[in-house]
Amino acid sequence: MAISAATKAATDALAVNRAPTSVNAQEVHRWLQSFTWDFDKNRTKYPTKYKMANDTKEQFKLIAKEYARMESVKDERQFGSLQDVLTRVDAGNKVHPKWNETMKIISNFLEVGEYNAIAATGMLWDSATSPEQKNGYLAQTLDEIRHTNQCGYVNYYFTKHGQDAAGHNDARRTRTIGPLWKGMKRVFSDGFISGDAVECSINLQLVGEACFTNPLIVAVTEWAAANGDEITPTVFLSIETDELRHMANGYQTVVSIANDEAASKYLNTDLNNAFWTQQKYFTPVLGMAFEYGSHFKVEPWVKTWNRWVYEDWGGIWIGRLGKYGVESPASLRDAKKDAYWAHHDLFLLAYALWPTGFFRLTLPTKEEMDWFEENYPGWYDHYGVIYEEWRARGCEDPNSGFIPLMWFIENNHPIYIDRVSQVPFCPSLCKGASTLRVHEYNGKKNTFSDDWGERMWLSEPERYECQNMFEQYAGRELSEVIAELHGVRSDGKTLIAQPHTDKDGKMWTLDDIKALNCVFSDPVDAL
Amino acid sequence: MSNNANSYGAGIMAKTGKEFADEYFAEENQVVHESNDVVLVLKKSDEMNIIVDEILLGDRKDDNPTLVIEDRAGYWWLKATGKIEVDCEEAAEILGKEFSVYDFLVDVSSTIGRAYTLGETFTITSELMGLDRKLENLDAA
Repeated sequence: MAISAATKAATDALAVNRAPTSVNAQEVHRWLQSFTWDFDKNRTKYPTKYKMANDTKEQFKLIAKEYARMESVKDERQFGSLQDVLTRVDAGNKVHPKWNETMKIISNFLEVGEYNAIAATGMLWDSATSPEQKNGYLAQTLDEIRHTNQCGYVNYYFTKHGQDAAGHNDARRTRTIGPLWKGMKRVFSDGFISGDAVECSINLQLVGEACFTNPLIVAVTEWAAANGDEITPTVFLSIETDELRHMANGYQTVVSIANDEAASKYLNTDLNNAFWTQQKYFTPVLGMAFEYGSHFKVEPWVKTWNRWVYEDWGGIWIGRLGKYGVESPASLRDAKKDAYWAHHDLFLLAYALWPTGFFRLTLPTKEEMDWFEENYPGWYDHYGVIYEEWRARGCEDPNSGFIPLMWFIENNHPIYIDRVSQVPFCPSLCKGASTLRVHEYNGKKNTFSDDWGERMWLSEPERYECQNMFEQYAGRELSEVIAELHGVRSDGKTLIAQPHTDKDGKMWTLDDIKALNCVFSDPVDAL
Repeated sequence: MSNNANSYGAGIMAKTGKEFADEYFAEENQVVHESNDVVLVLKKSDEMNIIVDEILLGDRKDDNPTLVIEDRAGYWWLKATGKIEVDCEEAAEILGKEFSVYDFLVDVSSTIGRAYTLGETFTITSELMGLDRKLENLDAA
């Protein structure tokens, strides 16, 4: 009877290498190589303009048994700590209230990123032709499932054992009210799973994971610990133990295309687009979360960024690849300016738009203002004076009848949304690398904040159709939108979002917002 | 802690305020500069604490004098020029139990550089593995 080529290959391999009875995992990995799996001519649903080499390696020589054993040990340690020691010492209630709010943003958003990374790495598994490269991507798919559960568990834990559950328990239901979710989905969803498969790998693995998971998942644990949070370090450092393999996958993606002519044509543009896409959101949002969402400061965000993004990712990953034609991202100068100022710009807008969020924000105290001025000279004259004015007008108190959004309107500082990143910006106030530019397309005006997003939009305008909140809710009153889109707590009237974390402070309700008569209008109509 | 150039707070990180901003925004720092350093993040655990104390800062301290290890709350932060290697057979002996390279990976939280395993050795190197040098299989070791 004729046998298939695969069966013959297996039989031949077994004839040469008899099935061992007791070997270590690395020997099993070597043995598996001899099966001569051939995916070279496989068709894929997810093509790429690059040719991925068929002999690309996976750096950690994983086999399924060792993978499963490693991950089960990680889970035992994580859940054991959480459910035994940390619960017994009431860790959830020892977290500083400001940081408790910050984790509503970080853990919920990371969960979405991990979820989309499941699809992204499944796609890469389908696109690659090297057996070892596929093996690395497949393990990553399993990792991303684990991470999605871990992030969900952080919010579950904070909800069950911590303080102020609203926003931890079901943040997703508020996703269409404010602008933060949409920007996050641009980097964590669209950037990872839409378009050319290798471009997605560059976004997810070479930039998102090799660069930004270090501040997002590693450095964040220092801020957490400093602010009384022992839960986040326990979970996030466990998540990151898988990320090193993901970074290696991203590097091996580049290795696999290094000898392809397409790499010399496209790689630097794709890398720059990915870097800008990821930094445009991560840089201001993480900086805001760390500095404005903490009571105890670890170091200025710009230093964290300079270490992990500029010196380490830039020098050790991208700089070393220079001799293979990889260039310093053209957008780096603007990214560095953003790392210094954009998180301050964003907090100004986030606080002004606080009713559209799913977390509580706090104005900087006098002590914090001094810290900001010391580390960002010029901060007080630009931002500090505004916060003092808002505080003097009673912005934290519902009886004041004032939310800072009104200040922007009174002082003619229009807020726009960047079409590509979905990040809001105020051209007349920002100190980051944002300036207003407008393009009309299909009868619709589109606003942009920077050269790099504008260039991406000009080459693919149909990709960036997402409606922003000003377009979506134009003509509608704010409290009506918040109520309809689930922005209230379980009593049905108190907002999830609040402009303070004072447990004795009065909470804003739908009636308080309704009394302001804030009606959405689209600022592009005036352009 | 160390005053080594690889320290967490070395170079520009030691500066504050305007002095930091001047260097950060300096023209020569608007492009990336190639670095031969590597960074390793080890999640604190019984095993990692012993490996740091007894091996990396103990028996193997002289292997790479550029190595800096700092305590960053939940993790150990390591930076060195060239490479960092951990022999898990040596670790097993000190730990007094079976400890494979996969057990070591349980608590390796991040790597900046090219990290790989070969046999029972974990390596992170500034070399471009797969480009400058091939990744080896066990039988070629």
